[in-house]
Amino acid sequence: MPHNHILSSFDDELNDLRARIVKMGNLVEKQYQNALRALEHKDKILAEKVRKADRIIDVMDAEIEKQAIQMIALRSPVADDLRDIVSTIKISAGLERIGDYAKNLAKRVSVIRHEEAISVSSAQIGQMVTEISGMISDVIDAYITRDIDKAIDVWQRDKNVDSIYNSLFRELLTYMMENPQYITPATHLLFIAKNIERAGDHATNIAELVYYINEGELLALKRPKDDSSNYAEIDAN
Amino acid sequence: MDKTTVQELIQPTIKARNVDVYYGETHALMGIDLDIAPKTVTALIGPSGCGKSTFLRCINRMNDTIPSCRMTGKITLDGEDIYSKNIDVVQLRAKVGMVFQKANPFPKSIYDNVAYGPRIHGLAADDKDLDEIVFSSLQRSGLWNEVKDRLDKSGTALSGGQQQRLCIARTIAVNPEVILMDEPCSALDPIATAIIEELIADLKERFTIVIVTHSMQQAARLSQKTAFFHLGKILEFGDTSEIFTNPRVEKTKDYITGRYG
Ligand SMILES: Nc1ncnc2c1ncn2[C@@H]1O[C@H](COP(=O)(O)OP(=O)(O)OP(=O)(O)O)[C@@H](O)[C@H]1O
Ligand SMILES: [Mg+2]
Repeated sequence: MPHNHILSSFDDELNDLRARIVKMGNLVEKQYQNALRALEHKDKILAEKVRKADRIIDVMDAEIEKQAIQMIALRSPVADDLRDIVSTIKISAGLERIGDYAKNLAKRVSVIRHEEAISVSSAQIGQMVTEISGMISDVIDAYITRDIDKAIDVWQRDKNVDSIYNSLFRELLTYMMENPQYITPATHLLFIAKNIERAGDHATNIAELVYYINEGELLALKRPKDDSSNYAEIDAN
Repeated sequence: MDKTTVQELIQPTIKARNVDVYYGETHALMGIDLDIAPKTVTALIGPSGCGKSTFLRCINRMNDTIPSCRMTGKITLDGEDIYSKNIDVVQLRAKVGMVFQKANPFPKSIYDNVAYGPRIHGLAADDKDLDEIVFSSLQRSGLWNEVKDRLDKSGTALSGGQQQRLCIARTIAVNPEVILMDEPCSALDPIATAIIEELIADLKERFTIVIVTHSMQQAARLSQKTAFFHLGKILEFGDTSEIFTNPRVEKTKDYITGRYG
């Protein structure tokens, strides 16, 4: 842990900024749990609750940004303080995006109808949500405790999300080819899965920022990027 | 070839090697090694009493005037040992000018303040030549437009910021190679400070500048290289952009971010 600042009010502000990120992270994580539950139970009321809560996350992001900009203007931070504050703005923006994806998930609750397709694939969606929730909570933990190893661990777990997504993608393609009736629900599920996969990318970015705050260098490892569905082909026959 | 490698090929203007300074029993500087690159601004930062001014005064041998002061080690300017017997200290101080914290114009006219150095060093062939030097120095110090109609008025009647620029004009009038500045803006308001900073940025095209400052923001804005002094030693020296985003030494970080060390 770095030493305290001589101006203790600066430490207070930094701690407050961190506390806001923790609060935001907790809320975003909860959004995924709720969105998944809404999806599984076709719970439109819960889905609506998720959509409403997303506005709170947007406001939190705006407030964090405002406070951080104020600190830059008034405190002229340098070195790790500067990295910390600038990265916190980016972390907040990342969480806001991750939150958006949860909202998108909830939005689709009312449009997915076809029972069968959902029951087959929702287990994998559930798995993805479990992964992403774990990544969010761990990356926030890494941020607050300045735990670089934990950040790297989160960073590496993105490939799990990608691989579930890729297998789900193939599975849904098969359904769609077998029965055109599945096309609509399967497409919705595909969008949901893609959203969660994107959320994983943002969580990975946050892990990189945590690393940068503490080390002053970019996480140099090669990123296990890209979902391979970009290159998937359909056999037309 | 990238920028840093080009820079590294250029011979430093000033080289300090294993410099120790004592004031009687006080050991003010210990084993200072520092290369100062030509036509760059090098900032010296560090807590009060860490030896920044002492080091600055070594570079133009101002410490010679302090009886209790003793120095060991070596400082060269363009490869020449400035402490060797055949160095003319007066010539050295023309080559290595100094601007102080408190502007100290002579109680003479603005013109004479600037003409003083060129006169004693015999730099002007005639009056016209001297005019030329005085006018161009005032122009380069950014003071010309403000004083051109009152060159015969006393230098001490100018504002603090103007006085400081007058001292800079006086320093550059003898065409130095290096300009040393010891907290040149600490008595100035933000606008006067910004004007001096802009001037320093201009001056580095022609001169090598070493500046002591207690303003971290000023060091960050102005300099390309920063040396962090602590208890008589240099703990970290490097590119200013690196020092202020990612200092390598814990003590540097604590100092520039305002933490308890
Ligand atoms: N003329 C002097 N006689 C005796 N000791 C001196 C003299 N000048 C400086 N010192 C001592 O040498 C040490 C370094 O002083 P110096 O003035 O170089 O520090 P500094 O880094 O410039 O500090 P500041 O930021 O306060 O100007 C201090 O311990 C100081 O007390
Ligand atoms: Mg000093």
